[in-house]
Amino acid sequence: MNRKIITTMGAAAAASLVLAGCGGGDSPSEAEEPEGPVTISLAGWDFASTPEFETLATAYEDQNPDVTVELKEYPAGEEYDTALTADLAAGTAPDVFIVKNLKNYVTFQEGGTLLDISDVAAELDPATGGLEPMAVDGATYAVPYRQDSWLLYYNKELFDQAGVDHPDGSWTWDDYADAAAELTEGIGEKDVTGAYLHGWQSTVQGFALAQTPGASLDGGDFSFLAPYYERQLAMQDEGSQPTYATVTTNELAYQSQFGTQKAAMTVMGSWYIGTLVAEQASGDADEFEWGLAPAPQFDESTTGTDNTPVTFGDPTTMGINAGIDEAKIATAKDFLTFAAGPDGAAALAEIGITPALIDETVADTVFGLEGVPQDDLSRFAYTTHETLPENPVGPNTSAIQTILGDLHSAVMSESESVDDAIADAQERVANEVG
Amino acid sequence: MATPVVDNPGALGLPHPVPPRRRAPRTSLKVRNALVGWTFVLPNFAGFAVLTLIPVLLLFYYSLTSWNIFGNADWVGLENYQRLVGDRSFHIALGNTFYYAAFHIPLTIAASLGLALLLNQKLRGAAFFRTVAFFPYVTSIVAVAVVWNMLFSPEFGPINQFIGMFVGGELPGWTVSKDWAMPAVIIVGTWRYMGYYMLLFLAGLQTVPTELHEAARIDGAGVWQRFWNVTLPCLRPTMFLVTVMVTIESFKVFDLILVMTEGGPGQATLVLSQYIWQKGFEQFELGYASSVAVVLFLICIGVTVVQFLYNKRRDA
Repeated sequence: MNRKIITTMGAAAAASLVLAGCGGGDSPSEAEEPEGPVTISLAGWDFASTPEFETLATAYEDQNPDVTVELKEYPAGEEYDTALTADLAAGTAPDVFIVKNLKNYVTFQEGGTLLDISDVAAELDPATGGLEPMAVDGATYAVPYRQDSWLLYYNKELFDQAGVDHPDGSWTWDDYADAAAELTEGIGEKDVTGAYLHGWQSTVQGFALAQTPGASLDGGDFSFLAPYYERQLAMQDEGSQPTYATVTTNELAYQSQFGTQKAAMTVMGSWYIGTLVAEQASGDADEFEWGLAPAPQFDESTTGTDNTPVTFGDPTTMGINAGIDEAKIATAKDFLTFAAGPDGAAALAEIGITPALIDETVADTVFGLEGVPQDDLSRFAYTTHETLPENPVGPNTSAIQTILGDLHSAVMSESESVDDAIADAQERVANEVG
Repeated sequence: MATPVVDNPGALGLPHPVPPRRRAPRTSLKVRNALVGWTFVLPNFAGFAVLTLIPVLLLFYYSLTSWNIFGNADWVGLENYQRLVGDRSFHIALGNTFYYAAFHIPLTIAASLGLALLLNQKLRGAAFFRTVAFFPYVTSIVAVAVVWNMLFSPEFGPINQFIGMFVGGELPGWTVSKDWAMPAVIIVGTWRYMGYYMLLFLAGLQTVPTELHEAARIDGAGVWQRFWNVTLPCLRPTMFLVTVMVTIESFKVFDLILVMTEGGPGQATLVLSQYIWQKGFEQFELGYASSVAVVLFLICIGVTVVQFLYNKRRDA
């Protein structure tokens, strides 16, 4: 028995070494067209609640009967990166994998785990959201197939009840704050606020970074965050949104705050469209009329429906394992071109996921779903935006985001003043990063 | 230990030649016994070696490299340790870890000993209350964190509403205040672990001879004197065990903080284990994270050795 276990373990260790050896080899950049059936493997997470991987695999197999896309399931959440990283380091990771968190993209790329797929990127529609920021020194190693952008969700009925004009696409953040105060007062119900801001650092920092002219994550100067924080603090002080303390200690969920009409508006990523429609259908959320509007803007230069509003959102991208079998490279690249292209986008839109490439077909599919608002502004908000990454590609992004996460909890809990926290974060970046 | 009968065709009624009885040399018997012993130990040892011993030994090596999980672990000598000296976040994490330990250790020992003494009495429902006290220890840490966070909620939480009935002015912000987050975590940590150590103390209390108590009582010793001069000295072995275990557990605190405060607000509750996790598994600086882990290891070993030496001197 023991010997059997040890033998098995030895065999597994030997196998992983052999595979690691394969992974360590020089990755060929040119590959011949494969002949006969090919199987490529794809890493994803939590297939039961994340159908996008199977959708893409099936849609591709339908078009290419010779190819089988084999799915390999990893744990969801932060553990995906940890488990995938371990497999990549051991050389046992699948041929194609999702780069889930943009902040780890450079780690994967510098670690030599990603194949250069600049040729795939060059074939894609330049309008593909989040494609351009993926370039590292002129080469691209992963392409976006999915990109959620942040939008403003508002409850039309609560707006009418409070007698406040619906958003018209012209809002700056100051207009948003004013509307939140008017709504809170106009609705006049205990426990119902004009706005809801979720506890994540991105709800403040993502907008500040994307919208403020000249703002950068690795410039070492975070003063661009100050006006965004001061506005949110003022809003929670005057009661037009629940305080950060309440949001975090009571584990408030944005789905229930907006979905059960505890807040008249909230900013959230476009993934919430599908969730809200499903929750209204199942009864988890109240029945009420809602709409989408562009996220509030830094200033008037990007407001209005004749402009392109600026918002943020990280693309979810797909790359090819540098250790892939040479004979499979062409197929894997073809799969990526499919997934990030119009056909993949159409397949994703049908299951309510926002693809990186939003064309008319995608918009028609999404707005053809029952329960999705039909007004022009909602469609404009969904289809028209310049979406900048929350985690710009860079070697220090992950470390800087940790420091800015500490800043967020210190400022929003009012443990530290905005200026002190910013000075502290700048000092830490200078001291710890680089 | 009996070894199984290997071969006995006679038992099946088959005729067989009587083999000449060979006497195994003493050494081979010894080797065989040792091998038998090893086979019993091996499953456990193999797991320990693969999952604990080898990683711990590798840890020391990796702490001297700039390993980032991919590629080679380049040797950098003591560079990581030099970086630790100037790393302010590490200093904060170190300070917070000692802050947690300094309060968590005595509070947990006092609370669990108090509970054990109370529930060692012949009270009605003592068994029920023992179970109740043990409950937090077996409850999911995430559930514990969610419920306590709600209790601690500064605006609507029952704790502040209760305090507000007696005290005016500004109430503590608990988990969302830089000054109060650590006390909140310590309270929950103590509440969670006291039931477990109470069990150890209860077991220890069963070994205290009743005659000693009776003799002391006849001599006119009060409750306090009997506790101080009879119970406590008899509990010394248990006390030592509990102290060592609570100490190590305090320095390693991780999950509770991660689910309650994530180290915040700011870095108010950032502890060493979380810092290791941040550096290693969020930022993939495994070399540097290893050096922090070595420091934590040395602290745990150092404190435990001091406790052992102190205990030994008391024993002598």
